[in-house]
Amino acid sequence: MQRTIPLMIVLIIGIAMLIQFFIPHKISKEIYMNFLDWLGIIASFALVLGLGSLINHHIDKIQRKREHWQYSWVTLISILIVAIIGLFGGMEGKGPLPVQPQIMIGNKLIVIKYSIQTIYDNIITPLGGTMFALLAFFMSSAAYRAFRARTFEATLLLIAAFIVMVGVVPIGYYISPKLPHLAQWIMDVPNTASKRGILFGVGLGVAATSLKIMLGIERNWLGGGK
Amino acid sequence: MKFWEYLLKIDRRIVFLLVGLSVLIPLIFPFRIKTNVMPYTQKLFDVIEEIDPEAQGILISADYDPQTMPELHPMFIALLRHAFARKIPVLVMTSYIQGPGLAKQGLDQVTKEFNSQAMTNADSLIYGRDYVFLGFPPLWLAAVLRMGSDISQAFPADYYKNRTASLEMMKKIKNYNDIGIIVSIAGSAIPQSWVVYANTRFGVKVGSGATAVTAPDFYPFLQTGQMSGMIAGLKGASEYEYLVHTKYNLTGPTPATKGMSSQSIAHLTILILVVIGNIGYFATRRTRES
Amino acid sequence: MSHDPWVWIGAFLTIGILSFLYKENPFYRFCEHLFVGVANGYAIAVTWHLILTPRLIMPLQGGNYLVLIPMIIGLFYFCRFIPKLSWLVRIPIAVALGFSSGVSIPAIIQADVIKQIQGTVVYPHLFANWQQGLWAILIFIGVLATIFFFFFSREHKGILKPVSYVGIIFIMVGFGASFGYTVMARLSLLIGRLQFLFGTWLGLIK
Repeated sequence: MQRTIPLMIVLIIGIAMLIQFFIPHKISKEIYMNFLDWLGIIASFALVLGLGSLINHHIDKIQRKREHWQYSWVTLISILIVAIIGLFGGMEGKGPLPVQPQIMIGNKLIVIKYSIQTIYDNIITPLGGTMFALLAFFMSSAAYRAFRARTFEATLLLIAAFIVMVGVVPIGYYISPKLPHLAQWIMDVPNTASKRGILFGVGLGVAATSLKIMLGIERNWLGGGK
Repeated sequence: MKFWEYLLKIDRRIVFLLVGLSVLIPLIFPFRIKTNVMPYTQKLFDVIEEIDPEAQGILISADYDPQTMPELHPMFIALLRHAFARKIPVLVMTSYIQGPGLAKQGLDQVTKEFNSQAMTNADSLIYGRDYVFLGFPPLWLAAVLRMGSDISQAFPADYYKNRTASLEMMKKIKNYNDIGIIVSIAGSAIPQSWVVYANTRFGVKVGSGATAVTAPDFYPFLQTGQMSGMIAGLKGASEYEYLVHTKYNLTGPTPATKGMSSQSIAHLTILILVVIGNIGYFATRRTRES
Repeated sequence: MSHDPWVWIGAFLTIGILSFLYKENPFYRFCEHLFVGVANGYAIAVTWHLILTPRLIMPLQGGNYLVLIPMIIGLFYFCRFIPKLSWLVRIPIAVALGFSSGVSIPAIIQADVIKQIQGTVVYPHLFANWQQGLWAILIFIGVLATIFFFFFSREHKGILKPVSYVGIIFIMVGFGASFGYTVMARLSLLIGRLQFLFGTWLGLIK
């Protein structure tokens, strides 16, 4: 029963969705619309669960004193502070307290806002943005070290990359007015052809996997246990 | 022979420094450079130009987070400016849980720019009348399908907790029939999913603002016309800034255009580094083989 | 130079992450953990204000008790923590999986396969001029050869070998194009951060 019920749910809902796609009857449409609204509510709890798991992981790390466990305090305390500011202050940009601290720097009075939006703009944005910006350095270093014209195929890859790299930036036009066109041609013709070939495979793969899940052939999602 | 070997073994920190300087110096001392607009950027601009503001709105889905913000946020700003300059009703949503903050920041910035120039109430941008921020749906796919029949049901309340159906603009914009184009700005394959579920199923036009990493994957959809135009990477954003600012004489900041000197020089730097690596490789190959 | 204390905090954190370029250090680790914490704190606020309030709390306040059904199904997610009832977690997962499987099969076949085949065989501008016709033929050959290289499981020898080789050539050019674009993407992100550090913070960029 513990496996049969979920498998039946997948099959019935899957088939219902398929039928709805091909035969959008008024009644089935009504049920379908309500179902879509319900899905949103069900999915909300998955988000809550995800957050709970993260908090659990860090508490566990502190209890077992795993490597760099002290930093888990940073994560937990910041979750708590930001959640309080967000939950009590709302998304509109108000802080949780009626008064916001003020400091004098020179002869200038500065109000320190601490709404969820200010935290987003000044902590989440620089941290998230810079983590990805690091990749610019690592990618350059990797390109210099590994990008070699060892074979004919590798040379082709290198030439295509060079043309696109220079052709898409404004300076490419100054090197040769034909470069942007050539870069565009590479994107439009050989790139489109190869990406489309891969797309067919991915598309058919997703459809096949979905069908296997619906029919209960693919059951990994059930996890372990009975 | 030592020189050729050195070419192969430049310390990674020197490579980092070179790349960093090649980005930084042109930012501080930029040079004027012509913007050549690529065809798919122009196409997206033209589609938005053709929308009748009385009949249809535009849905901009800010499907990105701070990780890809430097590349995608300028596109969002430029698209908002374009829509507002044409008085097209704007709906904004995001499919990333980290996305609402950026969308709000962009909306606040652009509406402030326009309202500071406005003389009358009709000229001003008023929330609920000229634009609506729908927020974040917990399950993107369910929301996208629900919006096909009723946008207000897919988002019962907006970002500010107003009942969506009660907003003035939403009385005109019910579903995808009232949307001229959906533009998904994303650093992932989400624009492709918008094509699969919104364009194929409901026939609404879909455009994309893509990071340069994902842009090559969308060319098959651009060629078939399933995607009606694309802004690709920071260069694409600078093209769009150029198109909008030239046509509507706007004066707001243009970070993408300002980044183009750096982008050009940094690309050349990486190209030279790869060439140096290859010269070193070929010059020392015979020694290695023997 | 900025007088806003928040900009200084942003700059301090940006430098913290950039310090990883030298080597991993406590300052970087602090910033990394702070990011995870603050981002999830923000997610809690979003979940409450933008998801649970409009979809659950407001309907319940308005007397729509039907939303209790999906709420109960959603609450099954938490059975994960109760060993005896842990199998119930499969129910909300089954609902989501059944939905996405059923919806995606026809949509993906239509958009990613049928429309793409149409685009390959009936290229919209096929007869516009000879160049377009030539490129259309090239795309057709490229798509066939790529599919062949990736999916034809029979050993690539004899006549199959040159076809598969053509596939490799198209794939290599495609990957090259992707790499060229990736360079652009990564550098753009760095440009954004340096614009913040040297512009917003230090005021050196006009």
